[in-house]
Amino acid sequence: MPKVTINGQELEVEAGKTVIQAALEAGIDVPHYCYHPDLPVDGNCRMCLVDVEKMPKLTPSCTTVVSEGMVVRTDNDRVKTAVRGVLEFLLINHPVDCPVCDQAGECRLQDYYMVYGLHTSEIPLSMKVRKRKVIDLGPMVVLDQERCVLCSRCIRFFDHVTKTGEMQFFGRGDHVAIGTFEDQPLENPYSGNVVDICPVGALTSRDFRFKCRVWFLHSTDSVCGGCSTGCSMRIDHRDGTIFRLLPRRNAEVNRSWLCDEGRISFHELMAGERVVRPLVKGRDGLQAPVTWDDAVRSINSALKDTADKHGPESILGFASPSATNEALYLFRQYLSGQFGASRFEFRSGSEDSKVTAQEDDVLRHVDKHPNTMGALNLGLASEELGGIGGAIAAARSGRIKAGVVMYFKPLVPRPGDEEAEARVAELVRSLEYSVVLAPHRADWLSDASVVLPVAAWSEEEGTYTNFQGRVQFAGKAINPGGDIQPVWEVFANLLYASGDNALWLSVDDVFGRLSETVPGYKGVLLAEAKTVGALPTP
Amino acid sequence: MIEFSEEAKRRYESILSHYPQKRAALIPVLALAQREFGWISDEVAEYVGTLMGYPPSDVMSVATFYTLLHKKPEGKYHMEVCRNLSCWLMGAYGCVDEIKNRLGIDIGGKTPDGRFSLQLTECLGSCGTAPAMQVGDRYYENLTPAKIGEIIEKLSHD
Amino acid sequence: MTKIHLVNIDKPGQASLETYRAGGGYKALEKAMKMEQSAIVEEVKTSGLRGRGGAGFPTGMKWGFVPRDTGKPTYLLCNADESEPGTFKDRILMERDPHLLIEGMAIACYALNCHLSYIYIRGEYEFVANTVQKALDEAYADGILGPSVVGNDYGLDIFVHLGQGAYICGEETSLIESLEGYRGYPRIKPPFPATHGFLASPTVVNNVETLTALPWIINNGGAAHAALGTEKSKGTKLFSVSGHVNKPGVYEIVMGYPLLDFINNEAGGIPNGRKLKAVIPGGSSVPVLTAAECEGVGLDYESLLKAGSMLGSGGMIVLDDSCRMPEVLSVIADFYAHESCGQCTPCREGTGWAAKILRNLVAGKGRKADIDLLLKIADMMEGKTICPLADADVMPIRSFVTKFRSEFEALCEG
Repeated sequence: MPKVTINGQELEVEAGKTVIQAALEAGIDVPHYCYHPDLPVDGNCRMCLVDVEKMPKLTPSCTTVVSEGMVVRTDNDRVKTAVRGVLEFLLINHPVDCPVCDQAGECRLQDYYMVYGLHTSEIPLSMKVRKRKVIDLGPMVVLDQERCVLCSRCIRFFDHVTKTGEMQFFGRGDHVAIGTFEDQPLENPYSGNVVDICPVGALTSRDFRFKCRVWFLHSTDSVCGGCSTGCSMRIDHRDGTIFRLLPRRNAEVNRSWLCDEGRISFHELMAGERVVRPLVKGRDGLQAPVTWDDAVRSINSALKDTADKHGPESILGFASPSATNEALYLFRQYLSGQFGASRFEFRSGSEDSKVTAQEDDVLRHVDKHPNTMGALNLGLASEELGGIGGAIAAARSGRIKAGVVMYFKPLVPRPGDEEAEARVAELVRSLEYSVVLAPHRADWLSDASVVLPVAAWSEEEGTYTNFQGRVQFAGKAINPGGDIQPVWEVFANLLYASGDNALWLSVDDVFGRLSETVPGYKGVLLAEAKTVGALPTP
Repeated sequence: MIEFSEEAKRRYESILSHYPQKRAALIPVLALAQREFGWISDEVAEYVGTLMGYPPSDVMSVATFYTLLHKKPEGKYHMEVCRNLSCWLMGAYGCVDEIKNRLGIDIGGKTPDGRFSLQLTECLGSCGTAPAMQVGDRYYENLTPAKIGEIIEKLSHD
Repeated sequence: MTKIHLVNIDKPGQASLETYRAGGGYKALEKAMKMEQSAIVEEVKTSGLRGRGGAGFPTGMKWGFVPRDTGKPTYLLCNADESEPGTFKDRILMERDPHLLIEGMAIACYALNCHLSYIYIRGEYEFVANTVQKALDEAYADGILGPSVVGNDYGLDIFVHLGQGAYICGEETSLIESLEGYRGYPRIKPPFPATHGFLASPTVVNNVETLTALPWIINNGGAAHAALGTEKSKGTKLFSVSGHVNKPGVYEIVMGYPLLDFINNEAGGIPNGRKLKAVIPGGSSVPVLTAAECEGVGLDYESLLKAGSMLGSGGMIVLDDSCRMPEVLSVIADFYAHESCGQCTPCREGTGWAAKILRNLVAGKGRKADIDLLLKIADMMEGKTICPLADADVMPIRSFVTKFRSEFEALCEG
């Protein structure tokens, strides 16, 4: 590995890496617009110029590959003067409309101006090149050509990632502008990414713009709940409301991207009416709100009665591939540990066969659940039942009397969702006794013996296992309020109340046990799951 | 829907045969399309894109880079007067004024009958025979306002 | 004076194969085809021939960089995108003696083991391209080109490719991008065209004038070429001279010929009894020389560099004492702004800004501070771009403003 010196700091760098990669990895900031770790290098912005010993001219660090003994300065006066000059050039034709620009607060022009610029503009307004503004580019993107620094990130994204080539440069010289042919809308399922990678306010999010100034937002690291890909993402929220979802770079899963459906999936979540109190069906056949303690007591006693009367095989655990690993683990622990239950299922469709099937060759998978692999790892698919159909048949024939059922609406809708939901409803109807854990209201919930209000995605921390078997941690961004509880906590309470002597105080506790006992989680550390995710040691 | 003439289609096939990769033929094909259709309209970009298998955005992006590919319909005689140094020194703007006066059009303009349009252009490589003007694929050199008058007169009756 | 390129340029019918052959044409190609390919490369190295497009890079050395064992084809591209203001030498060569170019290209192709070659001609020169095409057709019909080059077991195809109006495509990597069918954006180097050029294959880009020197070098030997000119500038050079001279045109001189003699003798001196004010010796991108600076300067790479300018493409523009230098610079700056491809920031923004400041100054609306601002913009652009176009704007800006500063200041006093 070549040894290079950057700003006096000696670094060993993997051969073939560029100076900017070496610097950024070592925590040395190099200003840049066009360089992006997940796009081909273009070298057009000239902001990342550095001074390399023995090179007569400053050189762009993004196009310069490290070599043994290379001595680089990113911080001397020569570099600073050059960078300041490039920045001044970028600003001469910029409209400087920060007060009405939605990028304000996360704009690289603003940021670098504070570090390198702080100059007074020497160009009169009349000399500025005018271009087009507020061009509607479809459901995700709004274009302002005047704010563009022509870094070509968006063009390269469509050329190299989606390979669809919608955005291009038009014109020449200082009249070059980005755009689509005849302003055609971007109908590509990944178009929202160009908003993220735009370093300035040229491409803003149709969905998010003018909703909230970015400095008011809080960020929580999470994993997308939209499909089995498990893209690393960040939830930006304020006062219990999600404002936007952004990709978190994860070279192992989603690089820097997110699909548009995943990106806007939170709207589905925020839109539905919530279950807010535990409901228990009385002798009159009507559900009435109860306290959690009462709900827990009644569930424990009903399930104990069923097990006593009909045997443990009469109890079904029907899980959801949208629940976290910790929730699923305690769910299984509760039913098998306390009542000896052995019949588990989670498939309302054919999730297990879809989990590794790609929907396209960028990110998306056919299975629209974030944790099908986790449910499979925990043995929640029953060979005997073969899916929800078998479970319904067993309930109808009386082999199964009672069931604990989870149901989470998919965040990314697909045809067939209603049918899958109808089957869960049918299962619930077929059971003599049913406990349903659900975040959102649905008509069929009135058939359940007990309804428990639980946290939805983004409201509960825990891990998901993606199509690769990679375990990734999602934090809790939103406090759902009311009597709503995280699923893992519901089962922790049920376990505690039914006399289990293990004390489950946190997701970390549960994960610790999971990684010790369940194949598929061996050697996985939660700390790793919190970054790029971790694969079990084989 | 526009389409190449049979002759242009033969020309197109011949252009393709000059290159080991199809993409290299794009710019000559755009020039051919301009010859056929007069200018590179959105429709032409879509036609060429479909013909060759590239998105129209890509085709238009290329077309807007090259000044000889017109993005608006020009006159039958598109008069492009060189404005660069040697022509400028030798009186190019006197010739431009003559064109403006005679035709009543400005730079970038076109006569109402569509016969003439006027544009300034960069160095034509006629510095030794300056000032110079290009009309279609023909050069007019050593221009004087008087000569401009003769040229316009002649082209008016073509 | 010895002539290499323009020997037969004035001969009637020289563009036809018959006349070209009658004057000894294609003898050099026949001779070259009997030589080892490497021997031709060596001969060109010996000749000291340097690229005539403007950069002056040794041609033999450029050829030497081409790897021979890549398994990919090698391409020779003839750069006939002549667009540097003041330059019209390649046009004359192609218009009047196209077979000389074809012969030179065939020799180069054989030396480089290239079997497919293009002449990239600027689109404005369509009528010139038609002449070249006619000559190519004759050469094919005669068996000079095609499957067996002048009867040898060696195939070669040469095609004309017309550009569509972009000065930047004269820059070799931009020319390659354009030939591949894209916007003519210059490429980041490395990799260099020698290894990754046209279609990512080994590629040599040579100017028309460079290639037309080859038949003479093969006929007379590299040493004979190296015997002409100065220590480091070998052979002859075409100068296309225009502006304030009595006899504008293309002239061939032996390297080192005195600049002022050239203006006064070959170019016929300054008309109308005017005095020489300044000379742009090598195309509009090179620094301007004042009349005083021209004293004792020879027309060769080193001598012009020492005088503070460059040989460039040999497109000489002569300015008499009636010229207002800020206006001249404004015309030049408009050109570079118009031709900046727009890919990288300093050039895209700097060329446009400088041009606007100059237009303002010339219109009498400038401020004194604008003069230093122009120099600052030049500093901000210089050496920070992908290709040399910005530097081609920097050189005239800096030289005009510093050498004729009082004229700029006078414009701001009103």
